[in-house]
Amino acid sequence: MPPLHHTSNFTFIPTILSPHPKIPFQPSDKKEIQQAMSKYFEDPAWADITPLPLEDGGPNALAQIAYSAEYDELMQYLRAVMAANEYSPRVLALTEDLIELNPAHYTVWLYRFQCLVALQSDLQRELAWLNETALVHLKNYQIWHHRNLIVDRLGSSEGEARFVERMFERDAKNYHVWSYRQWLVTRFDLWEQGELEFTERMIESDVRNNSAWNHRWFIVNGREEQGVPGVSDPAIRAREIQFAQEAIGKAPHNESPWNYMRGIARKSGMALGHLREFVEQYASLAQPDKVRSSYALDFLVDILAEEKGGKEQAGEALDLLASKYDPIRKNYWEHKKDNLGLAAA
Amino acid sequence: MSLAAGPGRGRVADGQLPDDLKLVVDKHVAYIKSLDTRRDELEYHLTEHLRVSGIYWGLTALHLLGQPDALPRAGVLDFVFSCLHENGGFGAAPGHDPHMLYTVSAVQILAMLNGFEELETKVPDGKMKIAKFISKLQQPDGTFAGDEWGETDTRFLYGAFNALSLLGLMPYQRPNDAPLIDVSAGTAHVKACQNFDGGFGLSPGAESHSGQVFTCLGILAIAGELDSHLGEEGKDRLGAWLSERQLESGGLNGRPEKLVDACYSWWVGSSMTMINRLHWLDQPRLTKFILECQDPDEGGIADRPGDMVDVFHTVFGIAGLSLMGYDGLLEVDPA
Ligand SMILES: [Zn+2]
Repeated sequence: MPPLHHTSNFTFIPTILSPHPKIPFQPSDKKEIQQAMSKYFEDPAWADITPLPLEDGGPNALAQIAYSAEYDELMQYLRAVMAANEYSPRVLALTEDLIELNPAHYTVWLYRFQCLVALQSDLQRELAWLNETALVHLKNYQIWHHRNLIVDRLGSSEGEARFVERMFERDAKNYHVWSYRQWLVTRFDLWEQGELEFTERMIESDVRNNSAWNHRWFIVNGREEQGVPGVSDPAIRAREIQFAQEAIGKAPHNESPWNYMRGIARKSGMALGHLREFVEQYASLAQPDKVRSSYALDFLVDILAEEKGGKEQAGEALDLLASKYDPIRKNYWEHKKDNLGLAAA
Repeated sequence: MSLAAGPGRGRVADGQLPDDLKLVVDKHVAYIKSLDTRRDELEYHLTEHLRVSGIYWGLTALHLLGQPDALPRAGVLDFVFSCLHENGGFGAAPGHDPHMLYTVSAVQILAMLNGFEELETKVPDGKMKIAKFISKLQQPDGTFAGDEWGETDTRFLYGAFNALSLLGLMPYQRPNDAPLIDVSAGTAHVKACQNFDGGFGLSPGAESHSGQVFTCLGILAIAGELDSHLGEEGKDRLGAWLSERQLESGGLNGRPEKLVDACYSWWVGSSMTMINRLHWLDQPRLTKFILECQDPDEGGIADRPGDMVDVFHTVFGIAGLSLMGYDGLLEVDPA
């Protein structure tokens, strides 16, 4: 089958998640690098190692990698020990220094993990070190993969949920940390170990944190394949709708709870009309000047469209969106009108 | 190619009216060319773990700007070959472990520069070797790991499909040979990454994110399953979520309640193009936002007005403009 959109070479791949390859180095890091300089060359523990400089790729400019002298020294030692397949405590110390300088260097992490395994190192100590490192390098993502490998090997999630929550105090929307949290829940069966209450705390502290809303959906609905019902269960559905509605009460123009409520209705197949009274507190055609959220008005459109003879009114709501409450998406609102078989305004 | 930020910042030139904003093509070309000479800076080697991708981004930007020869072809190819390992994978730079992401960037560069012949001369059966490196990373559940350590996510799956199709070695491209990878296991995984809000995340259950929407749609498009999976209703829902990413400034964010950023012009814009809904964005406003992120004097594009420019945002800003048919730019392929 021929691909639909794949005729030229101009295709991209996001490298480094977020997808930002920004390397936010602070001036203080430069100082650290200078301190590390020559530490290894003068250290008797490393006297048997000949640093391995990078081979020059050729005479052309692009092939040459210009290292700064400071970082270069450590990398030379790393290359030398890797070439000799050395796994030793001093290699752990070397990778630790390198990670402090540049936590985004994936090779260093991999080699460190191999080394920990080969030495049968104390993984609890590794975790303690990772805790400090993670709090310094908040945006780094390799560290979470490494942590994942370590905790998986340890076979225990003790203390992990608490540590993750500490991370969220610094950056409550960190994608890697949320992914790690989901992995923890799945790997160690933590579904009912206070996870729902955790999402409540997170949403309580920032009702607009979409990551927390997503996690709540995951906790409520993530075990259907194992036969644990989510919002298809009427009691759970009612509880979750109420949760979303209370959040909307606090901040009406907030995309997350509206999406959440819409998701529940769609998944459980409930008729949207049940929500009409609630939605009309925030957007009603009777008071077109007092719409409190374009999300509410959009929701009202879908409610009206389901009702007998409600299409014309849905069209009115769509006109309001296109002209007044969300004109930047004018073409989308026109498309919705078109779908309802209504003529453009 | 230096991935160091700066020196300039994105802004509107003094005294310039918003209507006079123009893409400063020559300055962007000069900026990208200058990146290769900035090797005395600390950031140059601290970003070495991205080098091959950086070259790909720079090269792509130059292609879109109509200056494909601004970087020396032979030099670029030599560098790419110097990253190739015995097992068919590429590292980000010489001495770095082979990894899916850099293997994809290397293949993309080879494809863009028509370098496959040189590859075969240097490494007999080189294309197949690369393909086998990639296919060995596929896991029983259809996903791909980035390296032998088993980290999997949709970016690697997209990378695998993308690279194999550029190599001409996707199963549909060689129907008479045994398939190197299991396409339908891969697409099944992608479908499991779709969320209740219509978007896609990095893994099943993970939050919807525009960058991941792009990779997931790209996978489905390459596999020819995009229309059958989403249908018009699915495209409407996803398009609604994507168009909601545009904020008052005209710029786009990656997920709800996050800051706008020029690179999402590409992740969101290309995704909307793949589902034929690019026109749901306010394109004049997005164009204006991207142009406000460029440094009008020294070239380069930043994530937001006032921030330092870098090559990553330069290429994705330009690619976003190209999607919208900006005058004078080469047309870009959304997947
Ligand atoms: Zn960006």
